[in-house]
Amino acid sequence: MEIDLEISDEDYVVESAKNTLKVNPISAKAWMITARTLYPNNFGVQFEAYSIEKEAGHVKEAAKYFSDLIGKFQQQAELWKEIEKITVALRAETDTTDSEKHFLCEMFKHISSDVQHKLLLFTADHCEDTMEHCRLLLLLLQRFPTAISSYGPRLVDTLISAEKHSVDGHYPVNSYRKLLVCDLLPLLASEKVKIDLSSKLLYKLLHKSIEFYLCYLGLSTMNVQEMEPKVEDPWTRLFGIIEFIGKQLNWEPYLTNFTTNWSKESYWQNIISFCQSKSKNNTLEDKQLLFCLAIFFLYCLYEYNASLTPESSPGQICISYLLVEAFTDPSLPNPVTEPKSKKRKSDGDIVHNTVPYITVEKPDLKYIHSNFLVCVNCWDLLNSSENIQREFIKMNTHLKLDPWLSGFVIDYALFKGLYDEALMFLQKISDPSLLLYRHLRIASILYMKKNYSSCLEPILLALPLLPTNNVGSLSNNLIVGGTQKHLHYLPLTRLAILQYLVKILIRCIKDNIIKHGYNELSIGHIFTLVQLDWPQEEDFIPPLLEQIQQHRSFQYHNFQSYIINVDILEEITYLWTSQGGQIHLDILPHLGQRRIGTRGSDKGIKEEIKQAIRRQIMRSNEKLDELLINFIQNERTHILQCLV
Amino acid sequence: MSTSSEVNLKQTLRKIEYPLCAKEALNKVVELVCSRITSIKHMDLALDLMSEFIFYEVDRRGNKRSQGLTPLLELQLIEILFEYFNSIPNESIRNTVFLSLFSGTTAAMRLGILSKLVSVGMGIPSQTILMMASVWMQQLGSFSQNSCKLAESLVQDYFYFSPESTERLKSLPSMCPQFTANFMTAISENYFSMSRREVSCPPKNLLEILKYWISNNYSLCIAAQQRPAVLPPGAIAMEPTTPIAGLLKWCILAPIYKQDINLYSELHLALLNSILEIPRTNPPKAIYAQHLAHSINPILAYVNDLKNKQELKLDKILNEDALQLSLDRYAQAVQVAHSVNAIYGHVDDLFNQLKQLPFNKLLSIVISTYNRNKVIVL
Repeated sequence: MEIDLEISDEDYVVESAKNTLKVNPISAKAWMITARTLYPNNFGVQFEAYSIEKEAGHVKEAAKYFSDLIGKFQQQAELWKEIEKITVALRAETDTTDSEKHFLCEMFKHISSDVQHKLLLFTADHCEDTMEHCRLLLLLLQRFPTAISSYGPRLVDTLISAEKHSVDGHYPVNSYRKLLVCDLLPLLASEKVKIDLSSKLLYKLLHKSIEFYLCYLGLSTMNVQEMEPKVEDPWTRLFGIIEFIGKQLNWEPYLTNFTTNWSKESYWQNIISFCQSKSKNNTLEDKQLLFCLAIFFLYCLYEYNASLTPESSPGQICISYLLVEAFTDPSLPNPVTEPKSKKRKSDGDIVHNTVPYITVEKPDLKYIHSNFLVCVNCWDLLNSSENIQREFIKMNTHLKLDPWLSGFVIDYALFKGLYDEALMFLQKISDPSLLLYRHLRIASILYMKKNYSSCLEPILLALPLLPTNNVGSLSNNLIVGGTQKHLHYLPLTRLAILQYLVKILIRCIKDNIIKHGYNELSIGHIFTLVQLDWPQEEDFIPPLLEQIQQHRSFQYHNFQSYIINVDILEEITYLWTSQGGQIHLDILPHLGQRRIGTRGSDKGIKEEIKQAIRRQIMRSNEKLDELLINFIQNERTHILQCLV
Repeated sequence: MSTSSEVNLKQTLRKIEYPLCAKEALNKVVELVCSRITSIKHMDLALDLMSEFIFYEVDRRGNKRSQGLTPLLELQLIEILFEYFNSIPNESIRNTVFLSLFSGTTAAMRLGILSKLVSVGMGIPSQTILMMASVWMQQLGSFSQNSCKLAESLVQDYFYFSPESTERLKSLPSMCPQFTANFMTAISENYFSMSRREVSCPPKNLLEILKYWISNNYSLCIAAQQRPAVLPPGAIAMEPTTPIAGLLKWCILAPIYKQDINLYSELHLALLNSILEIPRTNPPKAIYAQHLAHSINPILAYVNDLKNKQELKLDKILNEDALQLSLDRYAQAVQVAHSVNAIYGHVDDLFNQLKQLPFNKLLSIVISTYNRNKVIVL
């Protein structure tokens, strides 16, 4: 063995250990043990011993050596680097891809809990970066729940003040808030003992949590910064916080229990029973009701809004649904309504009539309706007392939820028949993505208000906004029997929207005929319009034909352009035959001058009309949506004449 | 007890056939050696009963029997002894009787029976038998000739005659750690020993089991020291010797006797770790300085031997790998043992004697560190 006389004794021993490691790890350990006992106060030797065990992957030995290092050499920068590595590893414990991190986590487990505790506390105190300090304290509390009662409240204060002073502290979603709301509060909640926090601070934490999660969910107009990693299941977490804070504030346990056997229905019942049992003007009770009801409402509304655009099956386009005024037909049988309204029927028809009948496209969308009704109940309750209403408005002003609420507020107004209110909200909408909704609903409301002449404008505004990539299909649910108010969740597809708008126009024109009497142009327009979802509204046609027969002539110069439905063409042709009464048809504008002429020329006219009708029949396969959009857009002045 | 009743007792026992009379004699011996007042007379009677009725060594007139026990009778006697000791609930009484049966002038004579009884105790295993054997070794000294012979006989039974049974012995430390420790101490004296005509090395399976025992339980080596022997009042308990020094000697000498390097380095490491776990006592008692010095002479003899052969130049001899490995292990052992203050006796002498050894860098570091620290202490 060659001996280098230049190197120091310490280096010789450490080098021997390292050299032996390559050939005989067992002997290397013996060397290292010797080195450690020879130089117990030499950091280099002790740290080397640790490094060798670490590199060799000996968890237990490394843990033992590391514990010794922590006890003896807290001033060493190299040791702090290692400590930092451990705390980083502990925070990413689930990441098993990094073998060093994995080793350090395993090693930490082998350190006595006393030393673990010390390590984390030292590190936190040693740390100059506030965020880092907070993260380390949090790590300490996660590892040592017994430390929660002493360090938990301190960390809450630190985080609140750190948020206040941080650059992005004015955003409700910031890293300090996330640590406070997503990590620390749930940790405090998991501790069984009561934690010493003032009720003022508890309300503050509740506010901060609500603000954080609602902003995180994108319900507020406040700026939200990107948050990584994602927060899983925000509602469950928010409920958890209400449960925790409610417990601390001695709230009714059944109001703060969102976990065991929880359902919207049962929770709503809990709220109702709380309202019935609570005394008037009790601030504590009002506060619980406000918070629980408001959060429950927002949760239901979140579900309702989500249900308006159900997830589509893969490969299919998502369809959104919009609540609109739909139509009734007294000649049809009244649909079997909900058992509830049936029961009420015995109380008197008035009640029955005030509950609108709400339909959806297909049975599996019924939950939209039920989601809506829960929201309506909550909304009514929130507005039932001045006190709660005021507090909720305050909360909303702070959280800036108005744009998010607006959809529901309009639905609610439609549901209650508060058309002026609904119009007021609608007129405020300027978001380009919501314009189609706006025009549709305005058209719908103006029709309900029988303001027919104003109906055309929103319809014309809506037409260019029709979706082009989502054609959809015609609806069969826009009309129900009976006379009660009928609301429908209209699928926002090209065909369904157009169908709905056309139906509005048909009814406006028809009502005007009844009001103003016979009008050939109006009748012609109705012929054109009913073609879209023919034969859904074929019942409109016979009375109109009768009117034409009475007047013995029918002039409609748009005939060649728009009427292509074989059934309607047949009916018109029949009018023209001797059996039909030989009604004079002025449907070809260029023939207008030769209306009365010689027999011969008359014969020519007949031939031309025949030809014209044949031509129209040939066109019967044309796309009706394009035809009708063209009709409404090109003939707007003619249509408006019929609406005035 | 009067002389006539003594005679009566013997007469009664003589009417019972051997070895059934042994059982009765044992009952009597217990009464005699454990009675509150013991007299020389009682002891003599007990000794008589043992040699005539239990071990079948003398006849009714006290003359030595020309023929000893047949193997069958010996087996029956061992069975009686085994059953008998296992039926005594009091540990102090058990140990007293056991020591009376197997120590003193007759110890060497009865070693065969004793070895077979302990062998059965290891095989069954019986904690009672092992604990008594442990105390016996301790009181006689684990390095004593009798202890070493017992150990040798047990090693013969388990590691030579039926080497496949070593697997079962793995749990011996959990059955009786004190016995295991004393057993190891005695074994350590049987190998690499200069007092014997020829130096012998332990069988590999023995080495493996020792390594297994120690590396799985670092406090095993000091187990006997941690539980005082249960003896009758007034008896002086002997301090057990740990196997550490003896086994370290194996590891230190193995390289120069060209033994399997890996097993010894593993045993060596296990021993170092065991030393680190030794609780501090004042005065220290785990490793005797003179025991630790036992390796010096064999190493010097080895070097002299090489010198005498004159095949190698002196610097080649001194830098030979085996020798240096030996010295490295020696230095490591002394350093680690000293660092936890586990060496008792004349530590200064030990370090002085170490200076006679051929040069080794680590050893010189260890010695100079010792001297430096000593100055600071002064």
